[in-house]
Amino acid sequence: MTDANTPILIANNISKRFGHTQALEDVSVSFLPGEVHALMGENGAGKSTLGKVIAGLHAQNTGTIVLDGRELIPGSLDDAFHAGIRIVHQELAQCPNLSVAENLSLHDMPKKRFTVDFAEMERRAAKLVHQLDPEIDVSKPLGYLSPGHRQICQIAASLDQDESGKTMAKVIVFDEPTSSLSISEASILMNITRELAAMGLTIIYVSHRMSEIFTCCDRVSVLRDGKFVATSVVSDIDEPTLVEQMLGRRLTTPDSKHAASPIAEAIEETLTAEGPTHDSSAIDMSRVILRVVNLNSPGKLRNINFDLHPGEILGVSGLVGAGRSELMDAIFGLDRLATGEIIVDGEPVPPKHPQRAIDAGIGYVPEDRRNQGLFFNLGIDENILAPIMARLAKSMGIRSLDKELEAVESRVGKFQIKTASLRETTPGELSGGNQQKLLIARWMMKSTRVLLLDEPTRGIDIGTKTEIYKLINQAASKGDAILLVSSEMPELLALSDRILVMGEGQIKGELVGDEMTQTNILTLATSEEQHTNAGSI
Amino acid sequence: MLVIIMMMGLLTLYGMFTDPIEQKSRITLRENAVVKLIDRQGNEHDRLARTQIAGYRVTLDGKATTYSAQEIERYDSNAGTLIEVKEVNRFFNKSNLVLIAKDASFFAIIAVGMTGVIILAGIDLSVGSIYGLCAIVGAMALQSLPADTGWFIAVPVALLVCMVVGTLCGLANGAMSVGLGVHPFVITLGMMAVLRGLTVVIPQELFATQSISGFPTSFTTGFFKAEFYGVYPVPVIIMILTAIVGWFVLAKTIFGRRIFAIGGNETAAKYTGIPVGKVKVLVYTITGALCGLSACAYLGYYGAAETNAGNAYELQVIAATVIGGASLMGGRGTVIGAVLGAIIIQLINNTLIIFEVDTSYNQIVMGAAIIVAVVIDQTKQRIQARRA
Repeated sequence: MTDANTPILIANNISKRFGHTQALEDVSVSFLPGEVHALMGENGAGKSTLGKVIAGLHAQNTGTIVLDGRELIPGSLDDAFHAGIRIVHQELAQCPNLSVAENLSLHDMPKKRFTVDFAEMERRAAKLVHQLDPEIDVSKPLGYLSPGHRQICQIAASLDQDESGKTMAKVIVFDEPTSSLSISEASILMNITRELAAMGLTIIYVSHRMSEIFTCCDRVSVLRDGKFVATSVVSDIDEPTLVEQMLGRRLTTPDSKHAASPIAEAIEETLTAEGPTHDSSAIDMSRVILRVVNLNSPGKLRNINFDLHPGEILGVSGLVGAGRSELMDAIFGLDRLATGEIIVDGEPVPPKHPQRAIDAGIGYVPEDRRNQGLFFNLGIDENILAPIMARLAKSMGIRSLDKELEAVESRVGKFQIKTASLRETTPGELSGGNQQKLLIARWMMKSTRVLLLDEPTRGIDIGTKTEIYKLINQAASKGDAILLVSSEMPELLALSDRILVMGEGQIKGELVGDEMTQTNILTLATSEEQHTNAGSI
Repeated sequence: MLVIIMMMGLLTLYGMFTDPIEQKSRITLRENAVVKLIDRQGNEHDRLARTQIAGYRVTLDGKATTYSAQEIERYDSNAGTLIEVKEVNRFFNKSNLVLIAKDASFFAIIAVGMTGVIILAGIDLSVGSIYGLCAIVGAMALQSLPADTGWFIAVPVALLVCMVVGTLCGLANGAMSVGLGVHPFVITLGMMAVLRGLTVVIPQELFATQSISGFPTSFTTGFFKAEFYGVYPVPVIIMILTAIVGWFVLAKTIFGRRIFAIGGNETAAKYTGIPVGKVKVLVYTITGALCGLSACAYLGYYGAAETNAGNAYELQVIAATVIGGASLMGGRGTVIGAVLGAIIIQLINNTLIIFEVDTSYNQIVMGAAIIVAVVIDQTKQRIQARRA
């Protein structure tokens, strides 16, 4: 065991370029044994890239990675693996069709003569997984698990042991580990992170969730535009300083109503200083835009009833698996088994046809922009116009290129989507923030009355987040109604006028005004019996 | 495109440095046709031997056709025939080029529909069998028409019969794979066998034969095998028109762009309200209808339907689309590429003929060419992606 103050892993003068993009420029960071070391920065700052260079997924152009005094082969996942570096990916890279146990032993299947020893495989997997969560059934296909459990399995996979039962990993890179997790799952994960560090492992924690840094990290290194800014001990630094390091500027608004987090500050700043403000008193409570009556879906939703008023932002909270996305899908007509009524402006929407829902004025930005949102083979223009292209078309379904161009230009301009070209660029070339803005821009049409937003700011940087908050508020202040699902508690609290808390496919309760606090939400979300009346805690 | 031009260039060069082939065509003159052969001095001749003809001008019934040197071998006013002889490049000559285009046409027409299917990330293995069935049923309809039926009846009847059969088969493919939620590979594999079986059984049971012929001539030489300037271009023209319509639909219509959207990300397509099932069924139906169109052209050109018509066409059609740059993963492909792909396949066939390679080697060369073409295309894509 090395001395606790001697770095176990050193990244020396790392530079990495992708095509014309300089992702990392002369970055040097050193990591101590047994520490949780956060890498922070906005999206595109290079923090994920640095993590991947360390794990050997990317080969750096210049610079060296030194582990325990030995220089690793650049870009060799194999070398990094044998040296004891593991990575837990941002995008869950696993085989959902195989069981948890198989996923965990893909690289080294236990054999019994000529066949796979499934019993041994499951025993080994259980041993790894159950130290993190004893509830997980390792014989189930991975695809059946919740995102939180999947993430836990992936972390478990990096804790592989040698014959004597000693963990082989020395350094684990967590790349945005909580981006797909609910609040309670995230806190479980942070406990796990601390435990791993206590075992002497070095954890490189790539994240931009500020609260996590302060909860579970020892030191934090900030990157900005591919350059190294500073490394600080977490207990010696405060949030404003950290945000300043990330953004290169200081957020000025003093204190916010809801929570003193930088995200809330950013929202407040946007609301007060920049665009039109969204005022809860402007909601027209006498009218109902969207009325959901007795919405049920076998195994997913039970007796959902609520009203949405013009200008209102209705937050939906709950743990992963509570049925939030399922609710959105059902309202949009994607759930073929759903029963109940969706009424927009007094008119019932024919069920099971998303096109009818769109015609009625419902827009939907789904949770997973890669898989549910974007067409990577099409240009920015067609991605934005997908739902309304038919409406712009001339007779016989022939495209109207003039009208399309006009519609795209106005949206790209309004949403400040940074793209090289409207027609040639594909969404894969955009940053995550711009991809998300594109998806919201898709529904910014005159006829949209109700906007369903499922995790609209997942995995994007603070700068773009504030832009999206502004857009959400703009939409609300012009009288649209918004149903907002978010796992980012401060975001949900700051934006929503009212919050529905879901659990087990039902609405567990409704919170308004001062009742909207993190504690109340968590209490409701985890409560056993059903709360039907507003604020009945 | 570049590949085609290079291949054509090389073959032309090869043709230039090897012995040219002689092409003769006998023009039979009507009984009282007036043919004048006028030499440079303005003297008329009524009889010529080949060595004498350089620089003669020929008028046939008052219409002047100027033949250049060595083109007319013999003219005998008494025999009433005019024989043209041309020395032509083995590869680069009118009839060979049209022949390549014609052979490519029959499956290029289907490849236009297949492009849509492949862009959807689907596949249709039954196109060869649909083509065969359309041909047999169309042939039965044509056979029942009187021999002197005009083209304006025979052509629409045949087109209608062939395309209705094709449309129904395509609809069955689409409706089954979408409605039952079974991968189109399985559905169309089954349909391939079922329809081929019908194609063999129907003429066997009804006529105890393997082939149906005896169509009105207005349908064959009067339309689909009509001669223009010494070549038979009708199938090629049909292919070009189909390709233009196909390109327009894919690039310029909402329906076309929805095909790309579904192929690129089917889930996202559902989340933007695109009627995924309807679009898919329609694409398979159109492909079936195009099989019918192609079968109709085949009937008219060859004047008969065989039970093995279109055997293994599915492979040629899919190969053409893939060589043309379509991705079997979906989301990418062009009609122009598919047509060019079909032409490349025929060019390879033609090359082997010109090099006098035994036709048994065709399959080997063809298979290798498909793999090479696709690997080159993908490498190109990867390099472009890296540069971006």
